[in-house]
Amino acid sequence: MISFDYVPVDDLRAASAAGAHAHTRFIAGGTTLVDLMRLGVERPTTVIDLNVLARKDASLTAVSDLPDGRLRLGALAHMSDVAWDRRVRDRYALVSEALLLAASGQVRNMATIGGNVLQRTRCPYFRDVTQACNKRVPGSGCGAIAGRNREQAILGTSEQCIATHPSDLAVALAALDAHVHVRGTSGERVIPFTRLHVVPDAHPDRETVLRPGDVITAIDLPSGIPARSTYLKVRDRASFAFALASAAVALDVSGGTIRAARVALGGVGTKPWRSPEAERALVGKAANDAAFHAAAEAALAEARPHRDNAFKVELAKRTLVRALTEVSA
Amino acid sequence: MHDLRTAGATPPFPAAPPPPTAGDPAPDFELVANGTATRLSSLRGSPVVLVLHNPEWDPARREQIDAFNRLLASLPAAAEQRLITVGAAHPWLELEFDTSRVALPVIRDDDGSIAQAYGVHDTPAVFVIDERGIVRWTHMGRTPPREGDIIAALTSFAARDEPRSSSWNRREFIATVLGVAASLTISPRLAVAERIAAASTAPGAARAVTLNVNGRQLRLTLEPRVSLLDALREYAGLTGTKKGCDHGQCGACTVHVDGRRTLSCLTFAMMHEGQQITTIEGLAASAGTSGNTLHPMQQAFIKHDGFQCGYCTPGQIMSASAMIHEPWGAADSDVREAMSGNICRCGAYPGIVAAIQEVRANAADGEHGQ
Repeated sequence: MISFDYVPVDDLRAASAAGAHAHTRFIAGGTTLVDLMRLGVERPTTVIDLNVLARKDASLTAVSDLPDGRLRLGALAHMSDVAWDRRVRDRYALVSEALLLAASGQVRNMATIGGNVLQRTRCPYFRDVTQACNKRVPGSGCGAIAGRNREQAILGTSEQCIATHPSDLAVALAALDAHVHVRGTSGERVIPFTRLHVVPDAHPDRETVLRPGDVITAIDLPSGIPARSTYLKVRDRASFAFALASAAVALDVSGGTIRAARVALGGVGTKPWRSPEAERALVGKAANDAAFHAAAEAALAEARPHRDNAFKVELAKRTLVRALTEVSA
Repeated sequence: MHDLRTAGATPPFPAAPPPPTAGDPAPDFELVANGTATRLSSLRGSPVVLVLHNPEWDPARREQIDAFNRLLASLPAAAEQRLITVGAAHPWLELEFDTSRVALPVIRDDDGSIAQAYGVHDTPAVFVIDERGIVRWTHMGRTPPREGDIIAALTSFAARDEPRSSSWNRREFIATVLGVAASLTISPRLAVAERIAAASTAPGAARAVTLNVNGRQLRLTLEPRVSLLDALREYAGLTGTKKGCDHGQCGACTVHVDGRRTLSCLTFAMMHEGQQITTIEGLAASAGTSGNTLHPMQQAFIKHDGFQCGYCTPGQIMSASAMIHEPWGAADSDVREAMSGNICRCGAYPGIVAAIQEVRANAADGEHGQ
């Protein structure tokens, strides 16, 4: 691993200022960054440690009720603490499930909420510095498009990049219309979660709308979401694997009719994939197999598979149908 | 000091003498010991092991620690207290183990004069100096010497030196490590002092880090890039924690940080000052067991044959002993899910699950009984 300067910070303003410099990276749980630094993919000259800040300011690690019924997740809260939180389990089942189906017990004890939604793709061409990757080295090409692409995305792809966004939590947050609180060099701002990530287009190296020095401080879960929700994840082995396809859904069904629906897909998109098309296909319809299949068709209508990942189109449809079936049962 | 960079073609140092060889008097030099300036020659009466090393040959690394552990094991206990205490201003690597304590005083050869006197430029070197100040054995090269060689050298001259042999034996020597951090220059024409100044301010330079491991304060000198795993294994000599994949995928490196199971490979050691780190070596003590009693999870792994080759076992046991405090369900399937971050290539999973379930059941019984 290359040498770097280690800078612990105990003040948000100082963190933003330090992080605004080139070649810096924030570290919280470290489960993505240390891994990628060891691979040579990430090569920061300065690593800014936010953990001192986390120990000093409890609001950054807390799960707290807001007066209007929303629930605030401190960005430096660990995945495990949020996953096991009683309020999260009771009111936001899909968030708790997405967290517990991700990574391993050890990783969940280390990784934070803010870091989780900013984790980098698992695309093997991105992780191997000997391969071409427009996300890692803009303009170098994409090894995956003409290469092995079984795990890559089928939604939101471009001619430059088909890397899958790996986070489970982010899929649940996209379905919920969560909001992201960001502290930057010019103050604080709030970003709708579905606008945090961007599709690759011609610039796969840009993955979010965050700017240098931005620190995610909290993520708010809205009140009044559909009562029944779930996160269904399909993968190559039963545990500790990234999704081949996943679905975060929430439904309100009364009198057999779907009154409200939230749908997002994981494992298939270049960003956490909210599907308003699927939601439109559900709302107002009877909660039955026909509506669920219509929603699945709508969600995957724009899918663009490559050589090895065509199976994901059907897998994602079935995953969504099963999630909708389970949550409306 | 005048600026050596402006010295033109004139070499900054006079031509170095060749290294002393067996039979030569050891070049004298000044050092700070026990808080006061003294000279190597004042240590006459006891042999001295002098190690000159550059940063790539860190005396706190495992092979050095192991060597010194074995050296000290061959000494009476009192010898530990006879290690030179170097002035507080100097780096002082103190490492504690379950049964022994290794103190490695490091003297910085800031102006390069010691290295110069011993003809050392770019490779580590070891000199065994007898009680009369005569060099008896030398080793130079990238490969560290075997501790057996050093003991053999000490033994051989102890046996030959008739006048002193009755009052002195090889078990009574002062093991001194004199490090010249960053001063053994690759190019002797560069000003040593400037190189040190540059090194001490360079990004990523090593600095003192205090880690609380198994209830003991360990002062280590680490670069920021050193993972907690490497700090434990390579710097603190605690090799019970294993390196499997080094990418957070196998769980072999699992330790407890403030009681929570954590992958020591995916975090930097510097990030954990002030936290309680428990490794497999300290697990039993952390549970309040004393003497040679194993932690209940260790006992259960033995009873249920929860391992074959054993490489993943420390990580499995550290993960399991923390997992039982997490709010998982009671079923075997809950255990398998909770333990999915620990891979066992031998496939000892049935025994691992049985061991964990037994410890959970016993803990539940204990709670009911209270």
